[in-house]
Amino acid sequence: MLDYPLSLRLLLVLGSLLTLVFVLGRIRRAKIQIEDSIFWFVFSGFLLLLSIFPELAYWAAGTLGMQAPINVVYLAIIFLLILKVFFMSLRISQMDSKMKILAQKVALNEEKIERTHQDR
Amino acid sequence: MAKLLIVIPAYNEEASIVPVVEDLIEHYPQYDYVVVNDGSRDHTAALCRRHDFHMIDLPVNLGLAGAFQTGLRYAAENGYDCALQFDADGQHLPRYIAPMLELLESGADIVIGSRFVTVKKPKSLRMAGSYLISWAIRLTTGKAICDPTSGMRMFNRKMLEEFAANLNYAPEPDTISYLVKNGAVVKELQVEMGERTAGASYLNFARSVEYMVKMGLSILLIQWFRKRDTLTPYTERSL
Repeated sequence: MLDYPLSLRLLLVLGSLLTLVFVLGRIRRAKIQIEDSIFWFVFSGFLLLLSIFPELAYWAAGTLGMQAPINVVYLAIIFLLILKVFFMSLRISQMDSKMKILAQKVALNEEKIERTHQDR
Repeated sequence: MAKLLIVIPAYNEEASIVPVVEDLIEHYPQYDYVVVNDGSRDHTAALCRRHDFHMIDLPVNLGLAGAFQTGLRYAAENGYDCALQFDADGQHLPRYIAPMLELLESGADIVIGSRFVTVKKPKSLRMAGSYLISWAIRLTTGKAICDPTSGMRMFNRKMLEEFAANLNYAPEPDTISYLVKNGAVVKELQVEMGERTAGASYLNFARSVEYMVKMGLSILLIQWFRKRDTLTPYTERSL
């Protein structure tokens, strides 16, 4: 069933392990908010799990009636990333509007200060 | 006596903010307070202005963590010795402020106004989240926090500087667990809490579950990997 070479398997494990270490490093140095780090932690943990136990992909492919296990892997990852992109897009929109409000607030305050200075 | 600032984050609290703050002004004038209006869309800010309440008015909504941090930055920059997180909806009773302050001064970094120190926590669905979070904190720190989700918490100067200056210091149970793990002394004081005097709770069922999952994952997984950043004392950073 598992018909790919050991070297490839090692490479996959190593790759996902490095991803996890990289994510944890960033969490450690508090460069990322907890909310965001939970996604990346779980995501890289999922990659690691899949690389150590590829049987999971074979099992999922079998149950879902898919031709190749790799399709399950791609489908799952692409779907997760699409969701992530969507939520990021939502947040960027909100940040955008907040930034506008803040800039306007600063400018309006500035104008108010200048006006009071001229009045005196 | 230690100089205490009561930080009252308020988001859409027009129905309860006035009696809550007036009670503080009238009966507890020895404490300073500040309302942090978190970009409310109702009349919260207008009411505070009309009543001449001390208010920091955020132009956009930052969420509870951002609003509370604003209050703590104010406390840090204005030389307060300790700060209290206090709800604007009337759930927290100010008569417990004095005993909490006393407990803080007896040598604690954080004092939680807890509903379940001497009273048994009810085994209801509503409290399932509280049980889960208590268990997670106990598992990861070895310390029992009876009421981790209580929003009535008092912080000493060291803590408030840390909260004021850093990312990922939301006033939530996961931060408490992280600080306990890093040697902060957390004490709990039995308090009663009032019912909300007005407004609906922010936490509906879906939000409660989401909150629980987030807190659970954060306490059980993420908090292990955080490094504490207290290298530069607050006063030497230019904020």
